[in-house]
Amino acid sequence: MSIHILGIRHHGPGSARRVRAALEKIKPDIVLVEGPPDADVILEWVGHDDLKPPVAILVFQPDDPKKAVFYPFSEFSPEWQAILYARKHKIPVKFMDLPMAHQFELRHQPAADSSLNNSVVIPDAETLRRNPIAWLAAAAGFEEEETWWEHEFEYRQDEEQVFDAITEGMHALRTDLPLPYDREEQLREAWMRKTIRQAEKEMYTEIAVICGAWHAPALAHMPKAKDDNDLLKGLPKVKTAVSWVPWTYNRLSYTSGYGAGINSPGWYEHLWHHPTDDGTRWMARVARLFREQQKDISVAHVMEAVRLANALASLRRLPRAGLEELNEATLSVLCNGEDILVKLIEKALIVSDKIGEVPIDVPRPPLQTDIEKLQKKLRLPQTADFKDYTLDLRKENDLERSIFLHRLELLGIKWGDRYDVSGRGTFKEQWRLQWDPSLSIDIIERGSWGNTVEEATNSYVKYRAHAADNLKEVCTLLESAIPAELDAAIDLLIQQINNLAAATGDVMQLMTVLPNLVQISRYGNVRKTDAALVEGIINGMITRICISLPAACTSLAEDAALQLLELFYNMNDAILLLQQDDLTAQWTQTLSYIAHNNNTAPVIAGYATRLLSDHRQITGAELVKAFSYAMSTANAPAVAAAWLEGFLKGSGTLLLVDNDLWTVVNNWMNQLEQDTFTQLLPLLRRTFSGFSKPERRKLGEKAKSGIGGGPAAASVEVHFDTERAEKGIPIVMKMLGIKS
Amino acid sequence: MSNILRQHAEQLFAQELEELQKQDTEKRPYMWKLSPQAVVTYLMGGTLKNGFEIQPKYIGNRRLMEIAVATLTTDRALLLYGLPGTAKSWVSEHLAAAISGDSTLIVQGTAGTGEEAIRYGWNYARLLAEGPTPGAIVETPVMRAMKDGKIARIEELTRIGADVQDTLITILSEKTLPIPELSSEVMAQKGFNIIATANNRDKGVNDLSSALKRRFNTVILPVPDNMEEEIDIVKRRVESYEKVMDLPAEKPALEEIRRIVTIFRELRSGITADGKTKIKIPSGTLSTAEAISVVNNGLAMAAYFGDGAIKAADLAAGIIGAVIKDPVQDKIVWQEYLETVIKTRDEWKDIYRAFRDL
Repeated sequence: MSIHILGIRHHGPGSARRVRAALEKIKPDIVLVEGPPDADVILEWVGHDDLKPPVAILVFQPDDPKKAVFYPFSEFSPEWQAILYARKHKIPVKFMDLPMAHQFELRHQPAADSSLNNSVVIPDAETLRRNPIAWLAAAAGFEEEETWWEHEFEYRQDEEQVFDAITEGMHALRTDLPLPYDREEQLREAWMRKTIRQAEKEMYTEIAVICGAWHAPALAHMPKAKDDNDLLKGLPKVKTAVSWVPWTYNRLSYTSGYGAGINSPGWYEHLWHHPTDDGTRWMARVARLFREQQKDISVAHVMEAVRLANALASLRRLPRAGLEELNEATLSVLCNGEDILVKLIEKALIVSDKIGEVPIDVPRPPLQTDIEKLQKKLRLPQTADFKDYTLDLRKENDLERSIFLHRLELLGIKWGDRYDVSGRGTFKEQWRLQWDPSLSIDIIERGSWGNTVEEATNSYVKYRAHAADNLKEVCTLLESAIPAELDAAIDLLIQQINNLAAATGDVMQLMTVLPNLVQISRYGNVRKTDAALVEGIINGMITRICISLPAACTSLAEDAALQLLELFYNMNDAILLLQQDDLTAQWTQTLSYIAHNNNTAPVIAGYATRLLSDHRQITGAELVKAFSYAMSTANAPAVAAAWLEGFLKGSGTLLLVDNDLWTVVNNWMNQLEQDTFTQLLPLLRRTFSGFSKPERRKLGEKAKSGIGGGPAAASVEVHFDTERAEKGIPIVMKMLGIKS
Repeated sequence: MSNILRQHAEQLFAQELEELQKQDTEKRPYMWKLSPQAVVTYLMGGTLKNGFEIQPKYIGNRRLMEIAVATLTTDRALLLYGLPGTAKSWVSEHLAAAISGDSTLIVQGTAGTGEEAIRYGWNYARLLAEGPTPGAIVETPVMRAMKDGKIARIEELTRIGADVQDTLITILSEKTLPIPELSSEVMAQKGFNIIATANNRDKGVNDLSSALKRRFNTVILPVPDNMEEEIDIVKRRVESYEKVMDLPAEKPALEEIRRIVTIFRELRSGITADGKTKIKIPSGTLSTAEAISVVNNGLAMAAYFGDGAIKAADLAAGIIGAVIKDPVQDKIVWQEYLETVIKTRDEWKDIYRAFRDL
């Protein structure tokens, strides 16, 4: 009977190869692997055809899914190879780390409020923090411990005694380094030893133990069983659940921001498949990638690059060319020293965008099942790299996709981003989707809201609607709920808006949300949503605004007035968009009241007057009168200036085109006395400086030429041949794309 | 002190090379004076086992030098590429000195460089007298390097016309130089290789044909990464210049060097050192080499026309000369920089005044 301790480096292809070779040699009857025993039940899936690495075991706490841990495996992970060996030879395989059921409770870190990155802990992160290998590497004269480990263990071809050497080295480190006592580590190793003893008790004779190199010495020298049992007594415990989730190479690498991981999964995979490659195969892949990018690379280039890489390796006294040497050779030979192309290899080859697969029948939370079902049905596969979709909402399938994506967005599962579509029309949507394995945590967390996407989204939105206490939030929710077609939630949201609108005294808030609601009611039709639902609220809201707006326009500071002015602008647009006579009448009446009220902030009064003129409520002499009145010298200059600013807001081009407006301003200007003009000049200058340069130039030209001194010229009736004109109409229709 | 204005690298650093050779236990490629590792040490500096100090010749990324040396151990030629003044020729000279012990086999590339400057020429008097004989051939540095198994250097490769450049293809791929007139050829000895330099800022250069490009490994020498590195380079080079030129001036204060390097870096990158202000970029390259020559210039000014200590005024003219390469555009750039950046720095008052006085 014997115990074989195989110390490995997580995700090391060399380690994986050696573990496999060692297992085949010692022919164990049980395999113990470092990992959470919680997940023992799902190990039976390893070896299933549809479980394709990179995949991860997700262990989480069902009542608090934020507490979750991933154990990622790639094809070249030694753990994966060990489990695979056991499954293939039909011998038992078990995880032996301290169960997450205990670890979750032991970690008293504030997991609830921390972000994802903090709460997701990859095993062995603490080992990396202390970085014991760096000591060994420094002793061997290497600057980077990664390079040292790779050359010493990963690239090595002869298998003899490597495990013993690793255990010895780590033993030396553990005894010599003054490391602080780490309770968690003690517990974990005690549990591992306990599991090994258990296996012995169960009469297994050849026990293979696969663990991180750091732990190897602690398992090789067994203390008394009683000590470990005492240590492990009375540990707190919670309920955990486990599942397989697809993983990506990008997540395995450092670039994703994880503490523990590997720099170059793509390179490791290459090493795993081609352990004896001297760089030729790798360079051939690089060359092919470059050729795909339309860069000519000959076979001679590849040869030269391999030779340079090997020359570099020997210059650096390394036994074989590693990734660094190959990269430098690529840079120098293939890229003519320009490092932009090297970035390409980095993304496509060194990290590579591989994503794993998990069989559909692996048990998992119901919400996730539903999402995957929908993904399959709507043909929206999970991809590691981003993929763009342009959805045409007039098509059934695209509409369903859009609804699905909007629902996920509402749920807070950030799979994709929506982009503005170029071109007109509201029937198109642009999405960019990129799957991130950590989304599975979000899915589990949101699973508490319901078992299907629709149900969960509905109840989640309802919950948020109840919790919301301001109009804007609810309106934003409504805006996103409509494209997600959440009928139940929409009813509630509308009700909620009505309640809040009635209760609110803040007219500005109402004005802020109104334009968006109008948009929904006008253009919601493409989505076949019942726009009538919204219209009811809009009418009520406009009435409310019209009643309380005049009061809100008085006694305003200048900046507050300008803020309100913006809202006026949008509000007016919204009213115009609605094209409902009764509402427009209500609106102009309010405007007229505001314009004539002496207490109204001048900039708003000016703008209101302009809008009235736009609505043809004040015209001709009356407009001139209002204008002169506001600009009379008795008014304080600042007031007059503000009024003029409001009156001419955004109307540079309008002044050019609208001869009525032009006449008013021009005539008024002409009749000014010399002194008054001098007095007013700064005010005018201030107003006109808001216009763009070409606008100002054109205005100057217009004033110079004296056009429009009189009333606007009436359109001239021209006698034309109706019959001949009609002949042209079909052509014009055709050009405009209108089918007659 | 010898009377030679500028000695070759192998003379100037003869002692270092000798010590390196003595201590060098690694395997040497055929005809190499030093092992590749020792060549890298020679370039990057270091302390030998017996405590002998090797001065760094190239200050920057060690990996670049490793690639360069490793390239020369294969049969590919080396192309050093970069902005003017990034130590291309300097590196090439020291590489040749360390590897072959001879940095003099050099061809200066110009628009007028002909084939006979690269392959071989004829001594016409003898050609007329004797007809085509081996004795009538005028050897070029490249031919000599091939015969002796040494490193040949070609400066400014891209300035040479494309048709002449391509004569290198046979030399680099077949490693022979045919002499059809004599029905013979020169076959390169082991150890022969070529280091070429070229800069990527110049206008009117002849890009290498892809056939030729394929025969070179390219190493791009960058401008110094950070301020301290650049200051270090300027300081070292100025000190060695002082030694050679016997200038009676005092050593330049580090502060003055720092100011020049700051001005050059800011103008080169188009942003002030604190990253707050954007500035226009002048047309010149403002390399480290130019900073070195400005300091040298200032030293000479201080030594012969000043009180021996380098002052802002001694440097001002040199700086302006380096910055204003285009009399119209660059002048505006400089004025803006002077008024918006230099003027606002309190401790730079003296140099601002010096600039204004010019």
